[in-house]
Amino acid sequence: MEKVPTICPYCGCGCGLYLHVDKGIICGVSPSRNHPVSKGSLCVKGWNCYEFIQHPDRLTKPLIRINSKEHTTSKKNPPLPPFSKGGRGGINSSLVTHNSSLFREASWDEALSYIAKKLTKIKNTSGPDSIGVLSSAKCTNEENYLMMKFARAVLGTNNIDHCARLCHSSTLGGLASTFGSGAMTNSISEIADARVIFVIGSNTTEQHPMIGMHMLDAVNRGAILMVADPRRNMIAELAHIHLKHKSGTDVALLNSIMNVIINEGLVDIAFIKRRTENFDEFEKVISKYSPDIGEAITGVSADDIRKVARMYAAETRSMLFFSMGITQHITGVDNVRACANLAMLTAHVGHAMTGLNPLRGQNNVQGSCDMGAIPEVYSGYQNVKDASARKKFEAAWGVSLPKKSGLTLIEMLNASRRNKLKAMYIMGENPVISDPDVKHTIEALKKLNFLIVQDIFMTETAKFAHVVLPAASFAEKEGTFTNTERRVQKIRKAIEPAGKAMPDWQIICELSKKMGYNMDYKAPYEVMEEIALLTPSYRGILHHRLDDGYGLQWPCTDVNHPGTQFLHRKKFARGLGSFIPVHYLPPDEQPDEKYPFILTTGRSYFQYHTGTMTRRTTTLEREQPECTVEINAEDAEQFGIKNRAKIKVSTRRGSIEAVADVTDKIIPGTIFIPFHFHEASANVLTNPALDPYAKIPEYKVCAAKVERIHEERPYIK
Amino acid sequence: MKKDLILNKNYLSYWLRQLRKEMQLIGPMRGFKGDFVFKSIGQIHEISLDCPASAPLPKEFVFPHVEEMFEKVFSEQEIKDLQNNDKRIIFGIRPCDMSAINLIDRFYSSKFESSYDLAHPNRKSEDSYYMARRRNTVFISIGCNNPDPTCFCNSVGTGPFLESGFDVQLTDLGDRYFVQTGSKAGKTITNSYRYLFEEAQRQDYDDQYEIMLSALTKFEKRINLEETRQKILAGKVRDSFWEWVSTRCFECGGCVYECPVCTCFNIVERTETDKSPRPPLRAMAFTKGGQGGIKGKRIRIWDTCFFKGFTRMAGGNIPAEKKVMRTKRWWFHKLLYYPEQFKRFGCVGCGRCTITCPGRIDIATISQKIKVEIK
Ligand code: SF4
Ligand code: SF4
Ligand code: SF4
Ligand code: SF4
Repeated sequence: MEKVPTICPYCGCGCGLYLHVDKGIICGVSPSRNHPVSKGSLCVKGWNCYEFIQHPDRLTKPLIRINSKEHTTSKKNPPLPPFSKGGRGGINSSLVTHNSSLFREASWDEALSYIAKKLTKIKNTSGPDSIGVLSSAKCTNEENYLMMKFARAVLGTNNIDHCARLCHSSTLGGLASTFGSGAMTNSISEIADARVIFVIGSNTTEQHPMIGMHMLDAVNRGAILMVADPRRNMIAELAHIHLKHKSGTDVALLNSIMNVIINEGLVDIAFIKRRTENFDEFEKVISKYSPDIGEAITGVSADDIRKVARMYAAETRSMLFFSMGITQHITGVDNVRACANLAMLTAHVGHAMTGLNPLRGQNNVQGSCDMGAIPEVYSGYQNVKDASARKKFEAAWGVSLPKKSGLTLIEMLNASRRNKLKAMYIMGENPVISDPDVKHTIEALKKLNFLIVQDIFMTETAKFAHVVLPAASFAEKEGTFTNTERRVQKIRKAIEPAGKAMPDWQIICELSKKMGYNMDYKAPYEVMEEIALLTPSYRGILHHRLDDGYGLQWPCTDVNHPGTQFLHRKKFARGLGSFIPVHYLPPDEQPDEKYPFILTTGRSYFQYHTGTMTRRTTTLEREQPECTVEINAEDAEQFGIKNRAKIKVSTRRGSIEAVADVTDKIIPGTIFIPFHFHEASANVLTNPALDPYAKIPEYKVCAAKVERIHEERPYIK
Repeated sequence: MKKDLILNKNYLSYWLRQLRKEMQLIGPMRGFKGDFVFKSIGQIHEISLDCPASAPLPKEFVFPHVEEMFEKVFSEQEIKDLQNNDKRIIFGIRPCDMSAINLIDRFYSSKFESSYDLAHPNRKSEDSYYMARRRNTVFISIGCNNPDPTCFCNSVGTGPFLESGFDVQLTDLGDRYFVQTGSKAGKTITNSYRYLFEEAQRQDYDDQYEIMLSALTKFEKRINLEETRQKILAGKVRDSFWEWVSTRCFECGGCVYECPVCTCFNIVERTETDKSPRPPLRAMAFTKGGQGGIKGKRIRIWDTCFFKGFTRMAGGNIPAEKKVMRTKRWWFHKLLYYPEQFKRFGCVGCGRCTITCPGRIDIATISQKIKVEIK
């Protein structure tokens, strides 16, 4: 039995673990005792991350849609993926059945030649900007880099995006203009020594469990934990103060906290004078948000607002954490700016055990952003509109590059619906489940002339593809992941890829060769070398340096640089930190008579994203086999809904059936649905309204109604 | 006169190399950056003799994460047993782990000593998959000269050195090992290479005793599980206390996965169909799996009682729905039911849950809290 050290493929904590391999079979997992994040622990997903790897559902050969030649626009569309209830218990079977009559197996050569031919044709007839590329936060840095190179250098378009659009694009947008860098400022290992921890819009103990562990350590050492969240989840139960503000009122809450800080003289004037700008204008706006006004908007008592303000400001070692509860709103960028303002106001940035810490959801979502898998920047956030940056990449890649920024994820789908986008190449993403308003997503995918999906399983999205390419899982390839604290860590190959599956980086290289652009890399370390060459913040990050430690935290600007524990030391990345005043704006959809509830969506602890991996893991699937709707006991009584009764939840966009979870963990008037389940897809309901800057959809608020489904059957599973 | 042996340290690798010719050799090796892991040994000189006391556990070699039980092709009558009969020798496990394995042996093999099964008071209920692995495994354990700060085997009587219940126990005397054999299997592996060993002399016994004494002084923890048990039995530990404990539980399962005593598993069945391009796999009952399937496998995988689904019943009812009930059950099993059934705690004091529990509600920490806070 061999034990291969690698990194957990689930969340952004980036825990270190060992994959146990016996005779080519992955047969277990154990935690790494000394890893700086996990320290010998793992969460339930980490402990069970071995099971999906060799699942028989893995795609093992390239698949080409039968009759795909006739199947051009709308005539012969594949059937909708089943939104019915899945199989009983264990692993959900309807998730995996795919109508084999739709596809036939093909060799790599055939599949890639076919793709190359098709893409070239579409590029020549409709222009490069008629093709869109989705990269993946589950893939390695090297693969994301190659994917963005493929889009830009081979296809000639900046239409590249990935699911960070759906989680933290507002963080990037909001922090770029205030601090100049959109990453977590401080490090996970500092948390345990903090004195005050303020968590807003993050279910840390469930979604970043190992960061939750460090927070709990801090609490055990006497730190004060304050949580702002409409749900009383585990972290809120551990908190000393829990602010249950209404979903979508974060700006009002933060502004009134800052109002208290300014009025009570708790600001750090020296810091504001030396390190920031635009304070006066900001102050004017803040003066309008007295705690009483805050109370009226958010539902949090003015007293609690004052308490939180005093505690956060009074302590030097105060860390501020936020996640999707802040970002997934039409005011996502504003929310993030408000957080940044709060950190600057009290000088809680630029030294250890402070900072503004966005918790990134997926294992490599930080890295895929760093690698430039977003329309407006190359790797290292070098803007495509900046002529000198473009020149550098043109020189290195030997082609001329498009000047105008590309389409974002949701814009690509919209463009497809308007027949502007003809083809898409989707790597390791499942927009049918993950994107808002499923009906529209499916419509958009069906309109495409050509869709390539590259994944490890037959996802709901892949069912619409013309070609499906089998990729290697995290255990079958080398590469690096960047966790939420900017730590670039190496993953290691433990077994050979399933069947004929290939690592994503290799697939991209082969495809671009077929399209006449020679991408020639022996191994991912060569790709990393090129990344280092072109990306200042990754300049010192090379595979051999990652071998003898727990990775390096960027910025790491040369080969002797030890990495950076916290950002904005002495000076903000953009020079002076900028106060950008923000006003409270209500969510796009407000509850009304017809749709009286606020619906908020998110993840559950046992499942992960669209469930392609967790739903194929026995223990995880058993724990959360179906979609449950959290509803407050008062509301439930009013609507005659019993615990575990089947209910129907509807919004203006559609409705789903799910099981009621009657609880006091959520405030009255709000319901919560996790989005993992294809048979009850929360994103049938969500509102695709976008933040005007970051184009992030408002997953966290929409208006919904709840109905009882008549036969009140007991919960059967 | 006892017949204990002495092994010159220079001969250790020769001995292990000979043993490896007969069976798989597993031992502690350096993992990544200061970690240690138990795995198959490639180069004998790479065995980490300096491995800290509470290294990751070797339980998985007798009770693996995933165990394939049997396989059936539906069109055929026969059932293919997938029992694992590989011969293994596990070097370097610690006395606490050895004690735990003895306890699991009793759990999986012998008749239950209490009256749980009233109908068959003397029924033998042997787990053939476990026992097959167990019978084919020999352990060479090493006593702990330097207990870790998390260890508390001395309070439970499972270490740092064992009197009995081992195959071979080594004690590091600096330049040589003091070798005790405690089972037939142990005798076989020493007797076959008797020429490597010398008989232990007076001085060796003295040195061994000295080492034992000094090890005992190095424990940092003193955990009295009996006291905790008495307090629980007396009803002094109230539900509000368990409530406090359970709000800190992340439901990660780590304490059970890492515990050398824990034995929970879940059984799932998977069928494969021949539908191209890739057979779907389902976890459903074998009888039902027959529909459309060509082949099915029954496997068992590690499970933990901290999970809600662990007790979900056919009708969907979950007896231990609340987290606090599950937390309590783990404690009650370890401290009340184990002693009732086996006259021993379901904890050997290895301290691994102290290392792995992200909620810091491991057995040592909470016992200590009960001791201090509950009078
Ligand atoms: S906390 Fe995140 S990275 Fe760590 S084991 Fe859990 S899912 Fe994996
Ligand atoms: S309960 Fe904890 S200390 Fe006791 S044997 Fe299990 S892991 Fe070790
Ligand atoms: S608990 Fe005792 S026997 Fe186990 S490793 Fe620690 S000292 Fe050794
Ligand atoms: S290790 Fe701790 S947190 Fe995890 S299940 Fe056990 S008691 Fe709960």
